[in-house]
Amino acid sequence: MTIPADLKYTKEHEWVRIEGDTATFGISDHAQEALGDIVFVELPEVGRNIYAGEAYAVVESVKAVSDVYAPVAGKIIEVNESLEGAPEHVNTDPYGSGWIAKISIGDGQVELLTDDEYTTFLEE
Amino acid sequence: MSELQKTPLFDAHVALGGKMVPFAGFEMPVQYKIGALKEYTFVRKGGAGLFDITHMGQVRVSGADALAFLQYMTTNDVSKLAVGQVHYSALLDDAGTFIDDITTYKISDDEYYLCINAANRHKDMAHLLQQAASFDVSVADESDDTTLLALQGAAAQAVLQPLVNNDLNEIGYYKFAQVNVNNTPAIVSRTGYTGEDGFEIYIPHAIAVEVWQQLLANDAEPIGLAARDMLRTEMGYALYGHEISDTVTPVEAKLMWITKLNKGNFIGKTAVETRKNQGPEKRLIALKLTARGIPREHYAVFVDGEKSGEVTSGMHSPMAGGVALAYVKPEHAEASDLSVEIRGKLVAAERTSLPFVRSNVKR
Repeated sequence: MTIPADLKYTKEHEWVRIEGDTATFGISDHAQEALGDIVFVELPEVGRNIYAGEAYAVVESVKAVSDVYAPVAGKIIEVNESLEGAPEHVNTDPYGSGWIAKISIGDGQVELLTDDEYTTFLEE
Repeated sequence: MSELQKTPLFDAHVALGGKMVPFAGFEMPVQYKIGALKEYTFVRKGGAGLFDITHMGQVRVSGADALAFLQYMTTNDVSKLAVGQVHYSALLDDAGTFIDDITTYKISDDEYYLCINAANRHKDMAHLLQQAASFDVSVADESDDTTLLALQGAAAQAVLQPLVNNDLNEIGYYKFAQVNVNNTPAIVSRTGYTGEDGFEIYIPHAIAVEVWQQLLANDAEPIGLAARDMLRTEMGYALYGHEISDTVTPVEAKLMWITKLNKGNFIGKTAVETRKNQGPEKRLIALKLTARGIPREHYAVFVDGEKSGEVTSGMHSPMAGGVALAYVKPEHAEASDLSVEIRGKLVAAERTSLPFVRSNVKR
């Protein structure tokens, strides 16, 4: 299981990479492992404003439908359209080509965990 | 909540990285290490997939009245079965609705073998035993003594043959033989739930692990419940609790082909005839999304802006896209412009024929 040190995590198993006033979202290695083979990703519309903790995307595995929650509030500025044709990137490269959306950061965030805190959280 | 049962292969599943989940009162593998999609592909693309389906029940019916009893208890025409032949059938209640769907094996003129759904085992047995009193017949539940494996896919025969004394070429589609597997009496039928050529193998628990390991050593790949459900849904095969249940009759479920109204009396016959004459309350259809999305069980199906019914089984088919079986109002059974409500949005769909992907069974 990979938990990169340069990201922050949520208790809902999303990750966020904050760079200046933008943030990139995805789901953690643990999340993709638990879901199994991802066969569909429903992406949000660019320009949509989302609040922290809002279900902004949906990932569907063979058996399950799961909401994906925003770690940080803001406006969607880009979505990973390649996931429409290749949703398996969420499984094979959850922190890289499996990213889901980028936002310009607004006000508010859910509780964010460091890599160490997330590791501890997973062990509990 | 009673404790979950384990099949004799539980430890083998765990050793193979099987993700164990509760299913019909058993702990069963939903997938193994390679994941459901690769397991599915292995079965569809020429491999031999190995499934532990020991959760399913087996009932032996024997005695002078075995034929008369099963003619009365089941929907299909048992008098048409030859020794060594299997057919798909059902147990109905007086209302004509499903107690279970089953397969019936004719072992001899006075002995038959039924394969039943795990979740329905106890109500099936209660129903059979209640009626058996009026017949010269004995009904024995052998579920606890029998391991049932399915070996499915184009390579199945080559993988199984080394373990069996008989030539498997002699077992045709929906036929079976009483053979020796590893020198132990067993039943092998050319049947399955995947749309691929393959076998179902009934063996005593004592040889379950060794047979499982030998089949894996012969290049079979273990396949979990998730891939099994994908494979059966692509064929449009009914699953109890989804397409069929104690609220629908064979008229709604498109299963009149296993319901022989001209064979004499059977339980549920009058109700089915009435339903057939009056017309069904709903009809089972097959649909395919024409836009992106996955139709899932219980999602609403719309026709002409009106809610018409709901999905009973749906999936993302790697070959056919978003596909589903659904019940709709009878007047919509031939409609071509359909939609499925997915998270509040209507996604366009069209009616299609079954199976959703090509069947490779050897008829």
